[in-house]
Amino acid sequence: MVSSLGMLAIDARDVEKTFRSGWPRRRETQALRGVSLTVERGAIVGVLGPNGAGKTTLLSILATLLTPDRGTVMVLGHDVVREAGALRRRLNMASGRPSFLWSLRVAEILAFYGRLYGLSGATLRRRVDGLIELCELGPYRRIPYSDLSTGLKQRVALAKSLVNDPELLFLDEPTLGLDPDVSVRVRAHIARLRREQGITIVLTTHYMREADELCDEIAFIKGGRILARGTPGELKRQIRLGEVIALRLDPARVPWLSEIPGVLRCVEVDGWVECTVDEAEKRLPELLRALHTDGVVIRNVQVREPELEEVFVELAK
Amino acid sequence: MSWRNELLAVWAVTLRNALMGARNVFFFFELLFWPIVGVLSIGLMSRFLELTEAQASFVLVGTIALSVVNVCQLEVAYAVLLDVWSKSLKHQFLAPIGIRHLTLGSWVVGMVRSLAVFVLLAALGRWAFGFHVLQPGWFALAMFLLGCFLTAWVVGVAVCALITLFGNRAEAFAWATVNMVLVLAGIYYPISVLPDFIAAIARAIPLTYFLDAYRSHYGFASEFRAPIATGLALSALYAALAHWAFLAAIQRARRTGLLLKMSE
Repeated sequence: MVSSLGMLAIDARDVEKTFRSGWPRRRETQALRGVSLTVERGAIVGVLGPNGAGKTTLLSILATLLTPDRGTVMVLGHDVVREAGALRRRLNMASGRPSFLWSLRVAEILAFYGRLYGLSGATLRRRVDGLIELCELGPYRRIPYSDLSTGLKQRVALAKSLVNDPELLFLDEPTLGLDPDVSVRVRAHIARLRREQGITIVLTTHYMREADELCDEIAFIKGGRILARGTPGELKRQIRLGEVIALRLDPARVPWLSEIPGVLRCVEVDGWVECTVDEAEKRLPELLRALHTDGVVIRNVQVREPELEEVFVELAK
Repeated sequence: MSWRNELLAVWAVTLRNALMGARNVFFFFELLFWPIVGVLSIGLMSRFLELTEAQASFVLVGTIALSVVNVCQLEVAYAVLLDVWSKSLKHQFLAPIGIRHLTLGSWVVGMVRSLAVFVLLAALGRWAFGFHVLQPGWFALAMFLLGCFLTAWVVGVAVCALITLFGNRAEAFAWATVNMVLVLAGIYYPISVLPDFIAAIARAIPLTYFLDAYRSHYGFASEFRAPIATGLALSALYAALAHWAFLAAIQRARRTGLLLKMSE
């Protein structure tokens, strides 16, 4: 059955999931409490939240690895429970903590999964070679998985997640534990996947910079509920964190700055005075005028939005 | 799913298990050491006890069956165990793979490995104790081996279901279950020596009938009317039940989250 919502890659409504464990005393953990999420085709959506918020549970339900207790979940027009088989051919997933069979070599792992998706002969060889080149795994194609470094294992996971040319890709903390230069390349690659192949991507990450850089939209989840949703900019405005005016001054300390109307707080960071204000456009001239009147030399001025990390900290409280 | 894709998925699992097996020195140990120890110790014991040629053949048939079934069923259990050990179970079940592909693919490798064990043990039995596996003829031998393979498949799939149901803790089933089945099936004795209620259980095990049919060619009267047909019918019934149980266990693991827990 194909959903009439053709433009939506994901349409999840009121999803609930409770895990039960322990014997003879049963413990219940409500991982998702009525989560609703829609994702448009071709978008990159980030699911952010603190540990235990329900991010991985949500991704696993969307990827058919878990079944929801309640709610309806349509992915690429398929019901994730009743039409899981057909759906699995069209999606894939990579995790930041990947594991594959230890003795298999890189090319063998990709070929194994390729065969499961119906690839064989020259087509399979071309696909494996292409993915090895794409993920810069050429020198390691004959190396057993257990001998690879963490970063290389993650690249294998990313290559494996592309083996079936998926329309929808789930990335669970794709740059976890990677060196900064490798993370930059992985992020660039994710952006390219969407740009060149139009793949819809849903990712979880703990790196706010990654989410800010990659995601069209972010859903912030905590305690099994989506607390906020929007573009990174919208989220920053939505929770009214204000804007930051950073000043390099001489003398460096000006105690009365925080007493100016509209200035919410001032802190010193690495020789800069960072003033969080309600509205930068209005407060910047007032601040500069007051400093000039007081004889303070202004050596540099920057105005910026709050970091997504600050939004995360605020929402996670 | 097309036939081509069905065969490809089975072949993928076959190749995977074969590669894993070929690169693990312990797999070779498992393939050679215990089977050889088994045949040598049982053969020498039969000589010490001055068993007749027919009696010695009776117990050696049991010893060889034990090794063949053990090696083959363990390979079928590897369909799940390899992924449990490497924590890659979720990747496997994220792909469009059915349990039939997993169990058939690993069964093919299991049959090849246990056939190699059989050839080795048959040669050893012939050389050391004058036991001739082809004495009953090719057809009887083929039915005996088929019976061993089918029993191994059923037990292996049941072990997969138990591991998927209970998680890593159930690994011991992989080694224990088959030995219980073999003891009940009359591996070294006719089931007529068992107490009535245990003999009733033995009559529900397919291998009992295949052993009975093969041993009848070594001078032991068959205890059953149509042992091969009965063995095949029981195997088909249990194979269906074991696959249903495995499928139900996977569905439960998706519901309870065990599938993810076993991948972390």
